[in-house]
Amino acid sequence: MRVGRAFTAVAVAALAVGLVAPAAGAAEFPAVDQPGVTPTEIKVGGVVTASNDPTGANLDTAYDGVNAYFKYVNSKGGVYGRKLKLDSKRDDGLANNRQEVQGLLTQDDVFAVLPVAVQLFTGAKLLADKGIPTYGWDINEEWGSEHHNPGPSNFFTNVGDYICFTCAVGSPQAWLPKKLDRHRIGNLAFNVSQSTACAEGLEKSLKKFKTGKIVFQDKSLTFGATDYSAQVAQMKDKGVDLVITCLDGNGATALAREMKKQGLDAPQILPNAYRPELIEKNADVLDGSYLFTTFAPLETKPAPKGMKLYKKWIKKSGGEITENSLMGWINADEFVTGLKAAGPNFTQQKVVDATNKLTKYTAGGLIPPLNWTTAHQNQIECSAVLKVVDGKFKPVFGKKGKPFICFPDNLKKMPKNPQVSS
Amino acid sequence: VTDLLGYVIRGIPFGCAFALVAIGLVLTYKTSGVFNLAFAAQAFASAAVYYQLRVESDWPNVPAFIAAVFVAAPLLGYVLERFLFRRLRTAPAVSKLVVSLGLLVALPEIVKLWIGDDALYGVPTIWPNQFGIYHWGDYAIDGNEAATVIATVVSVIVLTLLFRYTGIGLRMRAVVESPRMTELAGVNADRVSSFSWMLSSLFAGLAGVLIAPLFSQLAANNFTILLVAAIAAAAFARLTSIPMALLGGVLLGILQGILAGYLPLNSVLANGLRPSLPFVLLFLLLLFWPGLRQKREITDPLAGVDPPPAGLAAIGRGPGLTVATRALAVLIVVLGLALALFSLDAFWLLIVTRAVILAIVFLSITVITGIAGQISLCQATFAAVGGFATAQLVHVWSLPVLLTTLIGALLAAAVGALLAVPALRLGGIYLALATFAFALMFDSILVPLGWVSGGDVPLDVPRPEFARGDHAFFLLAVVMLAIAGTVVLLVRRGTTGKYLDAVRGSEDAAASIGINSSSQRVLAFALSAGIAGLGGGLLAMLDTQANYAANFSPFLGLVWLVLVVTVSARTVEGAVVAGLALVLVPELLKEVGISLEWQYILFGLGALTYARHPEGILEAQQRQLTAFVQRRLDRRHRAATSDEGTGPEGRPVAA
Repeated sequence: MRVGRAFTAVAVAALAVGLVAPAAGAAEFPAVDQPGVTPTEIKVGGVVTASNDPTGANLDTAYDGVNAYFKYVNSKGGVYGRKLKLDSKRDDGLANNRQEVQGLLTQDDVFAVLPVAVQLFTGAKLLADKGIPTYGWDINEEWGSEHHNPGPSNFFTNVGDYICFTCAVGSPQAWLPKKLDRHRIGNLAFNVSQSTACAEGLEKSLKKFKTGKIVFQDKSLTFGATDYSAQVAQMKDKGVDLVITCLDGNGATALAREMKKQGLDAPQILPNAYRPELIEKNADVLDGSYLFTTFAPLETKPAPKGMKLYKKWIKKSGGEITENSLMGWINADEFVTGLKAAGPNFTQQKVVDATNKLTKYTAGGLIPPLNWTTAHQNQIECSAVLKVVDGKFKPVFGKKGKPFICFPDNLKKMPKNPQVSS
Repeated sequence: VTDLLGYVIRGIPFGCAFALVAIGLVLTYKTSGVFNLAFAAQAFASAAVYYQLRVESDWPNVPAFIAAVFVAAPLLGYVLERFLFRRLRTAPAVSKLVVSLGLLVALPEIVKLWIGDDALYGVPTIWPNQFGIYHWGDYAIDGNEAATVIATVVSVIVLTLLFRYTGIGLRMRAVVESPRMTELAGVNADRVSSFSWMLSSLFAGLAGVLIAPLFSQLAANNFTILLVAAIAAAAFARLTSIPMALLGGVLLGILQGILAGYLPLNSVLANGLRPSLPFVLLFLLLLFWPGLRQKREITDPLAGVDPPPAGLAAIGRGPGLTVATRALAVLIVVLGLALALFSLDAFWLLIVTRAVILAIVFLSITVITGIAGQISLCQATFAAVGGFATAQLVHVWSLPVLLTTLIGALLAAAVGALLAVPALRLGGIYLALATFAFALMFDSILVPLGWVSGGDVPLDVPRPEFARGDHAFFLLAVVMLAIAGTVVLLVRRGTTGKYLDAVRGSEDAAASIGINSSSQRVLAFALSAGIAGLGGGLLAMLDTQANYAANFSPFLGLVWLVLVVTVSARTVEGAVVAGLALVLVPELLKEVGISLEWQYILFGLGALTYARHPEGILEAQQRQLTAFVQRRLDRRHRAATSDEGTGPEGRPVAA
């Protein structure tokens, strides 16, 4: 606690230095001999899967978030008298991640790498070995997982690096059966590794916490399948009253349509469907479903400070409001927070070290408190829960100003009312 | 029994979606002789038009449907026929297949230039009540399914009547079989061919508009996934019978439902068989379904009245030019190596190393397509076998990585030989489809298994101790390319190459002089797969992991094939240039600020030149350049020798 407080004081002091910088100018600060740093600028670069993305996830909007945040910081004079600049925006085209990461390291002369929002993170090792501060969206095992434990110390995401996909952990998926009093679970997954790992994790969690029983499970679905008639018929026969899926938007929607057709009255828990247009256009079948976000959803009321800033500056910078641009914003905030904490004589290593000392980082309330002293190897299990109502997302189960429900790392018994957090 | 009946009835609407695509494939093949893999891209284009008109421009349903299906789709068909496939009317089916592959790659990207990259959700259905549900006893059907079933059945009836009872139906089939004979009978073959393409494209449009609402998002790969599954239904129809395509599609839909209902869930059998069912069926149908095993395609009975197609313009070079060319080649290689070793930074060195390794993989296409004359759509799978074997043998047995790479190459060669044995009886597009089915089976059955791919996380692959550094690894890749290239050259120039040339020309003639075509083809497959496996192992080493999604997916393999045949499938230089093109074109596009999607448009459209230059752009250009230089040299020599009273040497000679 003492360390945390002392660090907070340093961070506040550093922030103050940053804020008075416009008056002081770059000349007031010591020269820094680091890649991508000039007397007037700090340059960063990112890599996203913009083209050839089979999921159509608009990952390139992560750049919008970084740009908006930098515009906001620069409007206040930048950091240590230097403007922040997103100097390099790379597209890995799905298959060329390693190549593009190599380009960032050797061609682009950048101080830090952000945002990283990619489908395949094959260049992760290059970034980890180089020790360059790296910020991104935690959808790849390489950020930290049961197979990469601990995650690299220079990698930072919005949820803490470590996610154990196949572990029995306290999670909203394991808690909701208890909360909704629906215990006969149907679970569907594609026969691809991420999807089956998700199913495996659910299976273990439900077994450990005894909140529900999987009475029907199919992990052999073909990616892209549209026919769920046999699965729904069997779930109906077996009295399934809650469906938890490890499918993409296409699969979840097709399944919901079939459930409606066959009259299976069970809400669906969607793993990754925070896409307003998807929900709105399929409200007739997805209403009543639940989903989770690891950040404060855009619908949070009252909006945390970080959300207000994000919406204001994304609009000012002409960016798009999406889940990914919000990730980009959080990544940029995380970088700037670490940079300021590193002090005016900052180096890449100092930024990494300073960030790893943050204990209650929240990006202005956009994410649950992150403790970076442990986040590379301990899972942070806090999520905001949303319900689809009339084709819109409605935050549920949180409290005013506290959208997240949290489960401790070493949870033994599933609580009826988990801790809520801002 | 009730359960069984339930699975059957519920499977019918989904089977109709397969049937719709299968009927489209059969229709195109019947009326144009093209096994049109671009059908999926055409369907996507019409669905995009429908979406834009309905959602973005707020058009009412009927006008939007008419504009997308009855105007835009036939127009696209007309353009494709008029400017592309008309030139290919008498070309081998394999050439047409390659061109359709190019379209499959390029067309969706061209459409995306118009509709943008953002995800488009909620394609409306053509049914007035959208997804309204209609109950029938214990069963129910929604509006879109009803529209699909009705459209499929009506299409079958109309098309069957068209082919059986109308003059235009007869003429369409006649033009496919022999345009010349049809023209002798006073039929305008061009006009009939245009009509055929407009009709089949209309059908692709209908399929696109009906199938798009099945998915929450409008995306080209959804149509491709459905198309590859529907190929089995088209094969069931022997690519000729439209009612059988309907039956095949419906049976496929029903069978999927029954397997989902009766196979023990999450069993090895369920996990392996269910996702791969369409591909297993396709593979088995190709091997055992009567009517799909003919070795030769139907050819125009009047083809003989045409003069034989012009041979490739081989140019005889004078000895001086030959020496100069070789010296220049050596100079380019030495300069290239020096540039790579001493001037390139780590980024460009990585790119060039990738190009060198891809060139090795592409040499496998040189062997199987350029030398043996077969189209294989599973070269990426052979590379994956090499990559996975390299990784697994290092992990499990801790063998040296270079050794495991060689073992991986041998394993890939063995897999290639094993695949070739049952596929021997197939030829042309049937062999291509069988190899594609094999790639898809590997993708859905073996890749998810931990002992094959490593499971959730790609397996790490170290580089050899002596080639840890980027420069040393680049040199290792160059040495491997030199060895593989030499082997390919020796094979091409040696007895095996001559035998394969003979088999390629005429299997019967080759057999009459004692050449065993079967063993030659098995040998070609094994060699090709072995080279691809070697490249796969090196790719894994380069990336320090055997990453299937990034390096070995079946659709990536299609892009490879399109690129290599476009550049030159017959030469080692062709493979090298194709490898360079695959990695350098995206960088070039980035330099000039153009979206990376353009690479697929360029590669795809490049395949269209296959119609004009089956030998490839590179070889065609080389020949033209050599001829030009030789002419200039001859002219100069003549001018010089006429003064001395002697004749010229090194005259261009037609091969």
